[in-house]
Amino acid sequence: MNADQELVRRVQAGDKKAFDLLIMKYQQRIIHVITGFVHDPVEAMDVAQEAFIKAYRALPGFRGDSAFYTWLYRIAINTSKNYLTAASRRPPVTDVDAMDATIYYDAPELKEFETPESSLMSDELQQAIHEAIQDLPEDTATAIKLREFEGLSYEEIAQVMDCPIGTVRSRIFRAREAIDKQVKAVMGGEEQQ
Amino acid sequence: MTAKRQELLSAFVDGELNAQELDELLALMNSDHNARNDYLRYQHASDTLRGYSRHNQPIDLTARLSLALANEPVHQQSGALKKARIFAVPDWFWKQTAGLAAAASIGALAVVGVINQPQSSVTPQLAQAEQMPTQTTSIAATNRWTVGEEEVEDRLNNYLVDHNEYAGASGLFSYARVVSYGEE
Repeated sequence: MNADQELVRRVQAGDKKAFDLLIMKYQQRIIHVITGFVHDPVEAMDVAQEAFIKAYRALPGFRGDSAFYTWLYRIAINTSKNYLTAASRRPPVTDVDAMDATIYYDAPELKEFETPESSLMSDELQQAIHEAIQDLPEDTATAIKLREFEGLSYEEIAQVMDCPIGTVRSRIFRAREAIDKQVKAVMGGEEQQ
Repeated sequence: MTAKRQELLSAFVDGELNAQELDELLALMNSDHNARNDYLRYQHASDTLRGYSRHNQPIDLTARLSLALANEPVHQQSGALKKARIFAVPDWFWKQTAGLAAAASIGALAVVGVINQPQSSVTPQLAQAEQMPTQTTSIAATNRWTVGEEEVEDRLNNYLVDHNEYAGASGLFSYARVVSYGEE
């Protein structure tokens, strides 16, 4: 049983906190999927929230025939499509009154969405991450590349690199630590601006 | 924060935690806000590398979702459902059983076919039949019926050809005589 399956089992058994971990893990990807349909960032966040709520409600019926993310992905797609269908019958967004506008545009999450500045920062972040990987020792760099770019499991990486799984795990962790230093630097730079 | 805890966060990004480590992680996330932030940065870096994020900061929906889910009922799988799952036969079992049944049927047919094959030692009835004079000697010689009336002869030969085709197609009567109109 992998970590997702175990978390799903726990949510089904009544542990709501376990669902928090699933949200933390997949929220970015789900928002990414939804923004393919719903381009407005605030609306995309709302649809993502709705998708996660639907997933929570439907979780008792999830039997694990597919991976949890695959199942969640389908819910996100359907929620986005339903949202667009419903939106076509709604008044245009420009009818949002002043109070709503304040609530929307003060939402901290909105600042994260793409503007020319944030796009530049995003490119900078990507570049910083790639540079951090280039500076890693060869074994560490190979381990993180096999994980992030090839999507191999720890067991598969251990076979490829001919080392114990524990070594793979610590190499990937060291790589993430090095990457995180760069990420913090980029984020810190942005916060100072 | 110890390296072991950070390693736990890193392994969770990859979904490589066992049940005991998930317990540790849940406790850590509930008690240490820094651990949550560290995890979000790890996950954000991973998502950025894979192209799932174009944002410069990690997005966190957990706070608003916790509020939204606060009034949702806690899931409790009923005892009956758990029991049913223990004894429930999975779908793949039925698929495999159906496949095995089909294979067994084909196997049984094959065995019947083999049993009906002519043996190397001729059975008494066949031996007796071979010794009996027959009126179809002309078939052995020409693979055709030869009778006085042409119309009857044609019809009989058509029957033989049809029979041969069906017998050949069934695979069970491979010993049936091959009849054709070809010249020998």
